[in-house]
Amino acid sequence: MSLFKDEMTPMERAVAFSKGEDVDRIQCNPNLSNGIARVLGCKISEFNHSARTLADAVIATHRRFGGDGAKVFTDLFIIAEAMGAKMKYPEDETVDLLEPAIKDISEISKLEPIDPYKDARLPIHIEAMKYVQDEIGEEVPCTALVVGPFTSAFFLIGVETMTKMMIKDPESVHRLCEISLENCIRFADATIKQGIGISIAEPMSSCTVVSPKHFREFSKPYLKRFVDFIKSKGSGTSIHICGKTDGIWEDVVDISVGALSIDNIASLKNCTETVGDRIKIMGNVDPSSIMYAGTKEDVRKATLQCVKDGYKSPKGYGIMSGCGLPVETPIENIDAMLDTAREIGWPITDEKLEELMSFNRYE
Amino acid sequence: MSNVKEKLLKDLAESVVDMEEDDTIEIANDFIESGYDAYEGISNGLAAGMDEAGKLYEEEEYYIPELLMCSDAMYAGMDVLKPHLKYDETEEKYKAVVGVVEGDTHDIGKNLFKIMLETTGFEVYDLGRDVPPGEFINKAKELGAKLIGLSTLMTTTMDNMEIVVNLLKEEGMRDDVVVMVGGGPISQSFADKIGADGYAPEASRAARLAKDLVRGKMNVAV
Ligand code: B12
Repeated sequence: MSLFKDEMTPMERAVAFSKGEDVDRIQCNPNLSNGIARVLGCKISEFNHSARTLADAVIATHRRFGGDGAKVFTDLFIIAEAMGAKMKYPEDETVDLLEPAIKDISEISKLEPIDPYKDARLPIHIEAMKYVQDEIGEEVPCTALVVGPFTSAFFLIGVETMTKMMIKDPESVHRLCEISLENCIRFADATIKQGIGISIAEPMSSCTVVSPKHFREFSKPYLKRFVDFIKSKGSGTSIHICGKTDGIWEDVVDISVGALSIDNIASLKNCTETVGDRIKIMGNVDPSSIMYAGTKEDVRKATLQCVKDGYKSPKGYGIMSGCGLPVETPIENIDAMLDTAREIGWPITDEKLEELMSFNRYE
Repeated sequence: MSNVKEKLLKDLAESVVDMEEDDTIEIANDFIESGYDAYEGISNGLAAGMDEAGKLYEEEEYYIPELLMCSDAMYAGMDVLKPHLKYDETEEKYKAVVGVVEGDTHDIGKNLFKIMLETTGFEVYDLGRDVPPGEFINKAKELGAKLIGLSTLMTTTMDNMEIVVNLLKEEGMRDDVVVMVGGGPISQSFADKIGADGYAPEASRAARLAKDLVRGKMNVAV
């Protein structure tokens, strides 16, 4: 159970923040992935066929923790699946990519444009978004997680094939990204029609995988067009990129998304100092060694440290974990993250943070 | 005479580093036509090049795409040289079984480990990703493998490595195989804790260690 109480709803807080008004506490988004099934008490596989269950899990998670965002998300592959990729559906674990939609670029014409209201699991997601927006949309900013065009392209042709094509056959990578973009846009369009925002995930854009040079050539142009589309519909967006990203922070600023969420292996301090004057930053409590495997006090200290590194960032800062939380992350640790945000309260000063760091609240 | 050989070996290595698959094939053919020893071509040419590529990756000069292209060039060269290996040299090959443990599907790092193992002369059987503990045991038993390499990038699945080690003990096989573990969250202390024989943070170092460990074990066994 939480120790402290919020005085504003996440929506009131978000609105006040955007106007530069006072709030009750800093924003905090623990970033659960399929752990939402644990909160509701259902099997992860139920999300594959029941929009109601998926929506209930998102809503239960919002009610349980009071985080500053409610996100409709199951796995990274729903767009690729709608375009023909084969999935593995474990009973109670995250869906995994079994086979890409095509094996070779010669089959590219097999990739057909998606219909978000019909294909594979997309209609379930769209319906869940509607329930979520109708039922809690006034209290909390709701989003759908949409995997970006570059990363989705990997799942269309296979990770290894796409990786090599960047060097062997750049032209085909562009063709594939173009198709991928078109379908990301179709899905995003349907999403926005449900009245909710979009969180983009682009894990393969990470400098842990591709060089900044390849990012600029193959990912950035499509990402930019994707973000431009979302903005043209009057919707806001944020992006999460896993792994190392310091080589592409400036590029993310160019794309002009609303916020950048970074991995725990990237330096939050460095990030806020480099691009914090131009973009809101979120991050980056370690999801595994702290959130999953640490104690409540470890979570509290790590959260305080992040706030210390981030809170002065000119365009704003929000607490978040460095990536989606492992499914079995202890519920008490997620409470501890939110409670630390509440404990810090508002306004935030260096002295206050020092003072809070100097003692243990738990144990 | 030996200058020509040195030059060809250097060119072989360079063609791998430069990801020039066609050049690698051509030079490998030259190498054989000149009557040089295929094994030397693999270890001092192709593998040396792959090792250099691994270093460039560590220095963030190369990324995953570059590394995979280097490995394609290396394999193309191997296809040329392999048929010319003398019999006893091929026989000496140790068998290894690698895979990503159950619950985890990150396989880029495992694939690199496999490639580097092959360059140091292992014959590798790849079980893929999300592999149940029992499969490692069954495959190792079937092949008489001397090495099992376990990879994971997720904290949540690390414990499955310990399960494999314990299963090996139950099957009475623990003393016959070297167990190596690796991947993002794995550390030397974790390897020690679960009773694995070896760990390395990076694939080319890991492959060198693999060879030392297996040789050590064989010497003890003899
Ligand atoms: C690329 C990536 C993906 C790709 C994977 C594509 C693929 N086919 O592999 C995609 C986008 C599909 C993906 C999916 C997910 N990912 Co991911 N991903 C990454 C990322 C960005 C890079 C990983 C990588 O490939 N590194 C490069 C390779 C070369 O490095 P490496 O594997 O460590 O290998 C080197 C060495 O370790 C060594 N080595 C490797 N294996 C072995 C074995 C032995 C025996 C030895 C000796 C050595 C050795 O050699 C290699 C070369 O030197 C990391 C970010 C990060 N911080 O690392 C997250 C990360 C690994 N992912 C993470 C998560 C949570 C996920 C998802 C669960 C996300 C989600 N919510 O859906 C899913 C996983 C689903 C599942 N059940 O598996 C987390 C894991 C957290 C944790 N510690 O538990 C990370 C750490 C991100 C984060 N900060 O939280 N991901």
